[in-house]
Amino acid sequence: MSSRLDFLSPFTLETQVVKPGRKVYVVKPEDLRNVFLKMIEVLGDSSFYVSTIIGTDLKDEGRIRLDYYVVVLPEEETVVFRTFIPRDNPTVDSLIDLIPGVLPGECETHDLLGVVFKGNPFLKRGFFVPSDVVEQGKYPLRKDSGV
Amino acid sequence: MSVSKIIEVPLALELPVGPQHPALHEPVLLKAYADGEEIVKVEINTGYNHRGIEKLCEKNSFYRDIFIVARVCGICNLVHADCYVRAIEQILGMEISNRAKYLRVLAMELERLHSHMLINAVMAENIGFENLFMNIMLDREKIMKAKEILTGNRVLSDYVMVGGVRRDIDDAKKEKIRDILLKTEERIKYYKKVFAEDSTILKRLVDVGKVSTRDAVIHSLVGPVARASGVKIDSRASDKYDAYSEIPFNVITRTEGDSWARMMVRWDEALESVKIALHVLDRLPSDANPVPDEKKLPRKIPAGEAYTRVEAQRGELTYYVMSDGKSPNPYRVKIRTPSFNNIISSGFMYVGYTIADLPVILTSLDPCISCMERVTVVDVKKNVSYKLPFKELAKGV
Amino acid sequence: MRRPKLLKLALENLVSKPATIQYPYEQTVIEKDFRGRHYADLSKCTGCSLCSIECPADTIKMRPIPPDYEVPKSNPRRLYPLINYGRCVFCYRCITVCPFNAYVSTNEHRLADTAKNDSSELSLSTLRKIVKEG
Repeated sequence: MSSRLDFLSPFTLETQVVKPGRKVYVVKPEDLRNVFLKMIEVLGDSSFYVSTIIGTDLKDEGRIRLDYYVVVLPEEETVVFRTFIPRDNPTVDSLIDLIPGVLPGECETHDLLGVVFKGNPFLKRGFFVPSDVVEQGKYPLRKDSGV
Repeated sequence: MSVSKIIEVPLALELPVGPQHPALHEPVLLKAYADGEEIVKVEINTGYNHRGIEKLCEKNSFYRDIFIVARVCGICNLVHADCYVRAIEQILGMEISNRAKYLRVLAMELERLHSHMLINAVMAENIGFENLFMNIMLDREKIMKAKEILTGNRVLSDYVMVGGVRRDIDDAKKEKIRDILLKTEERIKYYKKVFAEDSTILKRLVDVGKVSTRDAVIHSLVGPVARASGVKIDSRASDKYDAYSEIPFNVITRTEGDSWARMMVRWDEALESVKIALHVLDRLPSDANPVPDEKKLPRKIPAGEAYTRVEAQRGELTYYVMSDGKSPNPYRVKIRTPSFNNIISSGFMYVGYTIADLPVILTSLDPCISCMERVTVVDVKKNVSYKLPFKELAKGV
Repeated sequence: MRRPKLLKLALENLVSKPATIQYPYEQTVIEKDFRGRHYADLSKCTGCSLCSIECPADTIKMRPIPPDYEVPKSNPRRLYPLINYGRCVFCYRCITVCPFNAYVSTNEHRLADTAKNDSSELSLSTLRKIVKEG
């Protein structure tokens, strides 16, 4: 299975493993959109779906880690694309015109962590969190938010 | 002065469905814009049930989180607890006994049975067929009794613990559960026949809310919604967690992709669940005590991360647990429920159908709004060309 | 129009007795190991507070035992766990975590009441009152 994704090796910085045995490809944030364009070109757009987008606030290292969990059909194996973006300017390109299924993940990560996805017209602050927390300008999932 | 431009603004009726509405069981706001009888655009507004569970999980210890996470959703509480506990067991590197694995499978299949019966009964109620609704609920009570015999409570069964399950089962209980399952199997076959042949149900459900295979994959739909459009995905068959590697079962798919196919997939899955549960009861291994001693479980979890998937009643449910090894609380817990993907991306399904089809399509997606526990505002685009001018004007909402 | 499939079932239900259990006159049948009201047996409790730390709903509080009860020697600080049944979720974590197996579980499920409900009476009834001389 992993041999099918060998065309991604020019973008990969390193590989890790998330238990129980899921391969992680660490890429640069600028390359993320190209990785997905290449996947659609080589595999076709109905042979994989984006399952989850997870953002984690690594306050001690000063960066936010973004994981894209992708399930490749038909073997249904899960692979992970991991990038790190700086905490004080968290922006990354949006994938919404390629894959409409990332909409809930991107909207949620924006509202709860403050990551800005450039090119996504549906990002909005007001509704994820209750309005009294929004008025204070806080992002609830950050470690120093005090919520 | 001559007129240089004429702008035609077609009139469209805005129809808010929800948050309090007799056709919905949980609060969600669907703002439907309709031109005459036909729907042109739907906006989905959620967030009436947001409870901040991910942040709450970071403030409690790993063991307290098992009970908190089980209360994300009432109907899917066993699968949430099972997924979370398996993630902790992966981080710890712990293996559990075969008997515990089989018992977990039995409990999860009982839950899948009663959830599928519930959503089919709700669908019958929404189209007005109250007699069928009452009869399905009557038979569902027997499954709740079986769950009470096995786990100790009808709905919120706190049954799963790190290292196994919390209660064992003896022969008298096995006989009672087997009795209930055999009687229910007859009733489910009868209800499946009603859904397949009754003319009222066929008139209202066939060809409503059709979803093609490509649409189902690029919008990340999961569960019976995707399986009814021909996408063969099932976490039980691919991840083979707990005892599913030893139990034979079929993954049910259909090709029509409309609401009728979605409900029939659920009845077929209910029959498969009965078969799996009977198989488990016949072959329960007795290698070790499935109940761990809760006083001797490790207090500190080492650093690591794990990502587990489970096939909940509504689709693929995933958990990501990360621990930093220094505190008794987890560093990050992320829950992605199947209703999150299904409902929020579903705005494209309503366009072109009438207003009376709206509750039918929404119920066929099996919405579990408490499971969603996230909040989103979504505008959905659909390129119906002669209605485009109004959509651009309305987009700023 | 064809005959509806459910006609036979509907007619059968019309002539049989209602399926609802008429609650105050007949009781619902529940299992013996249903998770119902539980309380601490103070003759075994040592006041270690482990149940209070582990409760996911934060409902167990440690309270001092009133002075006219005879307390076994294993409980030097004279504390006992007080369960507030309004907040309890009946997960039974306290029972499985207690190192001395000092909890008693019943299957009592009829707990709706207008009076405030906690476990003080049941727990204290497991101790003997000190008989004052004179």
